[in-house]
Amino acid sequence: MTTTTAPLPPGTVGAFTRAAFEAHLASLPPLPEWWLARKRAAFEHFAALPLPVRNDEAWRFSNVSGLTLDGFAPPATARAVPFASIGIRKAARLIFANGRLFSREILDSNLERRGVVVDTIQNALREHGDLVRDHLLAQPARLGSDKFSALHQAFLVDGAFVYAPRGVEVELPIGIFSFALGDQAATFPHTLVVADEGARVTVIDYFGSQDDTERQLAIGANDLYAGHGARITYVGKQDWSHQALALQSNSTVVRRDACVQSLNVHLGARQARHESHSQLQAPGAISEMLSLTVARGDQEFDQRTLQIHQAPHTRSDLLYKNALLQRARTIFSGLIVVDPDAQKTDAYQSNRNLMLSDEAEANSLPGLEIQANDVRCTHGATTSRIDSEQEFYLQARGITKRAADELLTFGFFEEVLNRLSQDDLHTALRTLIQSKFSGEKVIR
Amino acid sequence: MKSLTDSGSAATVENPIAGIDQTKGDFTYDVAYEFDAGTGLSERTIDYISSVKKEADWIRAFRRQALQVFQSKPMPTHWATRDLENIDFDRIRYYLASGQKPKRTWDEVPEDIKRTFERLGIPEQERKFLAGVEAQFDSEAAYSNIKEIVAKQGVIFVNSTEGLREHPDLFRRWFGKVIPTGDNKFSALNSAVFSGGSFIYVPPGVKVAQPLQAYFRINAENFGQFERTLIIADEGSEVTYMEGCTAPKFSTATLHSAVVELVALKGAKIQYITVQNWANNVFNLVTKRGLAHAEAEIKWIDCNIGSRLTMKYPGVVLKGRKARGEVISIALANDGQHQDTGAKMIHAADETTSNVVSKSISVGQGRATYRGQVHIPKRLRGCRNNTECDALLINTNSRTDTYPAITVRGDRNSIQHEASVSKVSEDMIFYMQQRGLSEGQAMSLAVNGFINDLARQFPMEYSVELKRLIDLEMEGSVG
Amino acid sequence: MASLVIHDLHVSIGDRPIIKNLSLTVNSGEVHAIMGPNGTGKSTLAKVIAGHPDYTVTGGDVLLDGRSVLEQEADERARAGLFLAFQYPSEIPGVSIANFLRAAVQARLPEGEEIDATAYYKRLYAKMDLLKIERKFTSRAVNEGFSGGEKKRCEILQMAMLEPKMAVMDETDSGLDIDALRIVSDGVNALRGPGLGVLMITHYQRLLNHIVPDFVHVMYDGRIVKSGDKSLALDLESRGYDWVKQELAALPA
Repeated sequence: MTTTTAPLPPGTVGAFTRAAFEAHLASLPPLPEWWLARKRAAFEHFAALPLPVRNDEAWRFSNVSGLTLDGFAPPATARAVPFASIGIRKAARLIFANGRLFSREILDSNLERRGVVVDTIQNALREHGDLVRDHLLAQPARLGSDKFSALHQAFLVDGAFVYAPRGVEVELPIGIFSFALGDQAATFPHTLVVADEGARVTVIDYFGSQDDTERQLAIGANDLYAGHGARITYVGKQDWSHQALALQSNSTVVRRDACVQSLNVHLGARQARHESHSQLQAPGAISEMLSLTVARGDQEFDQRTLQIHQAPHTRSDLLYKNALLQRARTIFSGLIVVDPDAQKTDAYQSNRNLMLSDEAEANSLPGLEIQANDVRCTHGATTSRIDSEQEFYLQARGITKRAADELLTFGFFEEVLNRLSQDDLHTALRTLIQSKFSGEKVIR
Repeated sequence: MKSLTDSGSAATVENPIAGIDQTKGDFTYDVAYEFDAGTGLSERTIDYISSVKKEADWIRAFRRQALQVFQSKPMPTHWATRDLENIDFDRIRYYLASGQKPKRTWDEVPEDIKRTFERLGIPEQERKFLAGVEAQFDSEAAYSNIKEIVAKQGVIFVNSTEGLREHPDLFRRWFGKVIPTGDNKFSALNSAVFSGGSFIYVPPGVKVAQPLQAYFRINAENFGQFERTLIIADEGSEVTYMEGCTAPKFSTATLHSAVVELVALKGAKIQYITVQNWANNVFNLVTKRGLAHAEAEIKWIDCNIGSRLTMKYPGVVLKGRKARGEVISIALANDGQHQDTGAKMIHAADETTSNVVSKSISVGQGRATYRGQVHIPKRLRGCRNNTECDALLINTNSRTDTYPAITVRGDRNSIQHEASVSKVSEDMIFYMQQRGLSEGQAMSLAVNGFINDLARQFPMEYSVELKRLIDLEMEGSVG
Repeated sequence: MASLVIHDLHVSIGDRPIIKNLSLTVNSGEVHAIMGPNGTGKSTLAKVIAGHPDYTVTGGDVLLDGRSVLEQEADERARAGLFLAFQYPSEIPGVSIANFLRAAVQARLPEGEEIDATAYYKRLYAKMDLLKIERKFTSRAVNEGFSGGEKKRCEILQMAMLEPKMAVMDETDSGLDIDALRIVSDGVNALRGPGLGVLMITHYQRLLNHIVPDFVHVMYDGRIVKSGDKSLALDLESRGYDWVKQELAALPA
């Protein structure tokens, strides 16, 4: 039990001391009581928990020594952001720099008239308090990052709030951009998406830094809530500085006949952990979880997923593909849980690793925990190199080996990109991945 | 004194799995033990075992060091079931024996022990199709014999105590090398108190045509059996080893914790077959691993039907180029049972291949778990692993888990893992019922079909037994 | 002399009535064909006779040799001599046809009596020869990976081995090309005889060119609306089912 006066164990909180926490609270506008109480509890929880150690099952194969919280500071307010359009038409755009709102543009004038809210969490706390209270960080962290989730909640400054009311279909995507700027910057981006009954909305969440040499800490989270018959498409593009330590946790709640499709593209950071937790809470719920990772240099990508089927006749489908170059490491640890009542579950989980270097390392832990008998559950994991026959075929047509490998790697990713229904999104993502693959700085 | 306490067939009706043991293994005879290390575990227990066995100093020191490792290691409940916490190490008897030297003929075996093995059909099987048999009763082998024709080829088949005494150099060279004491808490426990088990050496080029068999019998209550088996197949040799095990069902928990080490030298082949049918109060916590040198092949065929909790992940360390490892696993978990099984494949040389096929069936409230590890470290070339895990759930309250862990470094290897969970469809059952089979018979047939391709890998005598066991298991499972 | 009597049968799936007041008698030695448009309840009738648990009999009775079978499980009915050749036979992975049939034959023996393996295989091979089935066929797993024709031949072989008194054949011709249809029909014809009653359910007349029925019934909207001899099937072939519908519509309700 940690009391408010007890000294904290050294090394456990890093830069995020009690004094830093109080200073953080003082910098915020007045908060609702419940939120302030949650933040205080979160800080205590964070301070009381140890950092993960090598033997933690939830961190198996992870580089736990890289999880340092030392030397980060609350960043300064940004004057400019390295934003550039990636050519996707949007209904609205929010830009955050170091956790604070930089700009807010509503591009489709119909949005507000139809009751769609695209705003900051700070504003939403005032104007949509009940919704925020019900859905903001409301689900437990079950994949090992309790300490970091608590830190995120304690130090959360601001984030995006997207709400689509009953029956409203938002055609164009909503773009959210979060930038970490400056060396030693710590940032806690958050995106909360609530789709009411029958609503449809697409959110693109982009994370980036000014350049790849800045040492940064990014602990982000997103909450996706799809009400009865709603549909959410979420695309996360993580392109933090290559010196960043990034931890992102997702919570997806899918209600009756609703569907959430999420695709996370992982490109940046020195060490990036991504936890994704889908709860299928009512019959007809569908969660599609997709991921693409280009791992290069000394990067480590650590992905943990949980597909929980809590009701009968639910479906989840996970496809995570990693391409590994140079000395990169990836970890995929996935678990499908089928509760005893969730008969007629249809769950799938697949992790495919493409090895493009003799130094790269892929770890795969695809898991199942099934407590209902009338289910269809399968998982698969493969780790292999490019098919030498295919490579030879392309070379025989005069294509260089390097170009052939690139082509085949894009082919490897196409299966995932093809799952996206929006064409321009598909094209923009392909461009992003291609530029990443060839080692150029990304064009946004 | 030597009265028969046959617990009869009353429990057959309640629990089909106990039913098997009742018909086959659930009986116990009162036996006067000449040697008894008492209850609980301390240095004195170990000294007693060493003294009785008249062991060399190095093995005495080995046991003591192992005890320390055992005591210092926590229970692995951070990943394994908390049921392990129900083992009370202070209540267990660690060494019970009626004599020190196994008999070479059944006639010499004391009557009270002999009739146990006769009832289990061991002497008959020996006559029919085995090259050698060892029959362990609690801590020591009561009988051990090898056919003369096999012995003449230079094949050694004795129990571990004899192996230590009579072949110390060979024994010491490989003992504890495949599974170090500190591998896990239970390998440490076994290293401290081991007794019995087989020591086998097959000389270069010798191919033992018929299987060697060991039969492990627990007779006493509150007992722990800790056999230690070491099999060395020299260059180009081949051997098949089969083990079977039974115990009566006592009201208190029984512990079985074996360590089995296999060494296949260049080009050798070892096939190790287990049909585990312990009573369902037995904690069966076993460490099994083989070391395969160049072009050698180690194959574990493992079938788990009995026990309360089995934790067993047979492994192969593929140490030499082109070595091959295989695990074929069948698990059947019925009410009150948790079969936590799997496989470990450690690739340590180029062009090594491994194959894992696991099929589990969960019945009633049974729980089957697969844990796998495949490790291909860097700079290796041409390594391949293929893993298939299929689980069948019979009832709505059955449970199955799958937890593989695969690490691959470099781009010259390939692995593939696939798992599926299914049930026997209602249409299939109706189809078979329409042909006149009862629902239970239909279920049995479907389950036998599910494991059929694996069951075929067992020797004939065992696969028939396996089918019979499954039929018995499934009879009461529907409705 | 065996008989299958269906008397005033009413059947529902859930709350939806499928069969409404259907009566029919099949005696051994007779071949009856039930024809009718899709969705009229033909396959339901086949499954209800066999005892499929998805259907509820809400009225009437089904009697085999004068004894009601409705209280019996599917396997009891089968052992009593009722055989259903399925429209979509199930696949049973890992279980060979030979072993499957052996289990089915064993199930018909009195308790404690073991099947005589030699005699069993002798009989199996004789039936296979009769039906012109290759020996290796029975070592394949039941219906696993079979073509449509192979599945139907497997059904006929089972029928031959189990020697039922009454066989209900549900859309035996579905999914078969003309060669397969001929092979399967030849098999059924080979099994025809005074000891077997057959109820064939079919949508098309073409099967009846190969297995010539003694009686033809037209089923529509859950009941039998017209009965006759084999010429009725030819009428249906040339005039279509609409003719029956129009005739029905003309009748007073």
